Amino acid sequence: MSSTNRRHRRTACTGLALLPLVALAACGGGSGTDASADAGSGKGTISVWAHQGQKSEDAAVQAAVKSFNSSQSDIKVELKLIPGNDYTKTITATSASELPDVMEFDGPTMANFVYNKKLAPVDDYVSAKTMSNATDASKSQGAIGGKHYGLGMYDSGLGIYGNKKLLDAAGVKYPTSLSDDWTAEQFTAALKALKAKDSDGKTLDIQEGNGLATEWGTYGFAPVVWSAGGSLIKGDKAEGALDTPAVVSALKTVQSWKTYVDPNTDGNAFAKDRVALSWVGHWMYPTYGKALGDDLVVLPLPDFGNGPKTGQGSWAWGIGADTKNAKAAGAFMDYLLNDANVTAMTTANGAPPATKTALAASPLYKEGGPLQLFADQLAKPCGDSDITKSCVAVTRPVTAGYPTITAKFSEALNSIYGGADPKSALEKAARAIDQDFSDNAGYKIP
Amino acid sequence: MTSVEPAHAAPHAREKAPPVTAAKPARPVRPARSVRKNRDWLHGLLMSTPAVAGLIAFVGIPFGYAVVLSFYNVRLGSPLAPTFFGLEQYRRLFTDPDLSGPFLRALLNNLTFAVVVVPVQTALALGLAILLNRKLKAIGLFRSLFFMPVVFPMALVAVIWRLILARSDQGMLNSALHAVSFGNWGAFDWLGDSATAMASIIVLSIWQGVGFQMVILLAGLQQIPGELYEAADLDRASRWQQFRHITLPGIRGTLVFVAMLTSVLSFRVFDQVYVLVKGGGLNEDAGRTVMYQAVTTAFDQNNVGQAAAITVVFFLIVVALTLIQRRVVRPDNED
Repeated sequence: MSSTNRRHRRTACTGLALLPLVALAACGGGSGTDASADAGSGKGTISVWAHQGQKSEDAAVQAAVKSFNSSQSDIKVELKLIPGNDYTKTITATSASELPDVMEFDGPTMANFVYNKKLAPVDDYVSAKTMSNATDASKSQGAIGGKHYGLGMYDSGLGIYGNKKLLDAAGVKYPTSLSDDWTAEQFTAALKALKAKDSDGKTLDIQEGNGLATEWGTYGFAPVVWSAGGSLIKGDKAEGALDTPAVVSALKTVQSWKTYVDPNTDGNAFAKDRVALSWVGHWMYPTYGKALGDDLVVLPLPDFGNGPKTGQGSWAWGIGADTKNAKAAGAFMDYLLNDANVTAMTTANGAPPATKTALAASPLYKEGGPLQLFADQLAKPCGDSDITKSCVAVTRPVTAGYPTITAKFSEALNSIYGGADPKSALEKAARAIDQDFSDNAGYKIP
Repeated sequence: MTSVEPAHAAPHAREKAPPVTAAKPARPVRPARSVRKNRDWLHGLLMSTPAVAGLIAFVGIPFGYAVVLSFYNVRLGSPLAPTFFGLEQYRRLFTDPDLSGPFLRALLNNLTFAVVVVPVQTALALGLAILLNRKLKAIGLFRSLFFMPVVFPMALVAVIWRLILARSDQGMLNSALHAVSFGNWGAFDWLGDSATAMASIIVLSIWQGVGFQMVILLAGLQQIPGELYEAADLDRASRWQQFRHITLPGIRGTLVFVAMLTSVLSFRVFDQVYVLVKGGGLNEDAGRTVMYQAVTTAFDQNNVGQAAAITVVFFLIVVALTLIQRRVVRPDNED
């Protein structure tokens, strides 16, 4: 009964766009059929979807698939690249039965795909070696209820890039590691000191050109909330987590930085020496490293009282819930996550590797490498809920309600940055998030 | 005439009919007229079928569903059954301060936009059309120059205007003002300031759209016979009198059409707001329009029910405004 019910529901849900009335009646049959993949024979053809990103990343995925296909004769992988901008929408709009055996997805969207039964746990299908080689940060991003749904080849991290020459010229002392991090006041003081030496008075870049009412706003500035001892959501409630007095005053501080921020419309503010500090992620290293050479220093984000924090998490790989060949899918994931492929991929995009062995061998992120700070941060993962003073890398909330959380938080951030009262903006966002969670029964994964 | 093949059967039937009623001379006229009327009605129906079918399929049915959806709590990609919400979505839109604040603000922004853009853009288009309605060398070049912005997609235009309106002193507008004012003008945040955010969007929209209206008005102007102006010259009418008594009446219908079109288009403002917000710096509250609100609610927050309620309210408001407008300004030939 349950399988017909499920198929019926799926067809109806697919027709949602065309026939909402039918869908209204039919999507209701939400009986708790567990999404579990068929192990299958471990032989044959499997389909794989990945997002099309930078050319070098695409080449790395294609090379991995090609060498996998030629390394053995049991499994054949067919790869389909889908443009990154439409990737998440494509998965959202595709019914589970039409999704591929293995697919890539962006970290914070995972819970949503688990929620509507598009992903199966990978624990039974990838090897123990692959699982134990994944970094803790990568594992915590991919875990829901003790099961792992996704493993990444690479991770991400935030920091402040500094221009040593300009910092020294202004007599600003800057941290060298996580332990002697700036407090928010020291950071503000540094901005002030830099401003005195700057022709246009703008000394900070926060990638304003990406827009703050976007995922960049949430990813880039949720660390301020965490570092102030708050959280985007706690239990299933944002009220009392997002709008605490500490978070309010932290965002007031961020608001006060606007006078120092270069709008950076051309994207070159830091590379062209117009500003001394750039608040951004690991992905700018290739550009900045080339432009500044030895003058580039990498610093942690300032501490608002609860220790420095950074965002974490990136694209990951998982197994489609309806696959008939999960064993083969797991074998392919094992191959994808081996040192050679992870190293090739992270060389292509400059991201911190998400496997222990590749991370240890990475020239950028190893002990003494120019980006060691990012590795240090990721070595202290908090998960998405247990945000203590000593951990650093926080995963964005792993919940199917994430689209609302990020929309409301980034909207509040944007209006605060534009001059709105932080307290009322945050309270409003918290109320909206709570309302949404209560409308959706807490987004409990059935 | 001969192309109306399917109608051939009818005249034959009619030719046969008169002998029956021949006894009463007054009658034959009336049936003939009523048959003709029926035929007109049928042809009218046939000819409008494609348009009406399209209207029903792409506007009627989706709107009907939007009304239904607005009474439910429906989420994109949720495994939960949609639950009946009654008027809850509407209650939230109008009484929940967190939601009604931005929504009413968006409505107000839309109205402001329409109230400013419709007269200003129409007048500007008329001015440009008159300016370009003369026999000059290379007039085609000037006309294309003014028409150019229309050719570019709004998304592209908005990206370029992001550079013009950028808040740093390197923003083009700011640096131009800086130069013109001999250095007395500092950096101003055009998009981030609530006082100028909407104004910036309005200016950008007028610049992009005015060429289109201009071309339509230009066509209207060229329909006015030159003799009228010659006669007016002989009567020693001044330029203003010629404009007032020949030009304006001559293009009245076109003007009404242009004003109507502009106001309908001006309620659809979306692209520029979306691009400028994502590009950073736009004061979201001050620049938000209803379309923007509906699209982000549905596709960023997956809240289809709420978005449906927004569009239903908006639809009703726009229909009401359009009806009022049609009452107030009516082209001559309709009387």
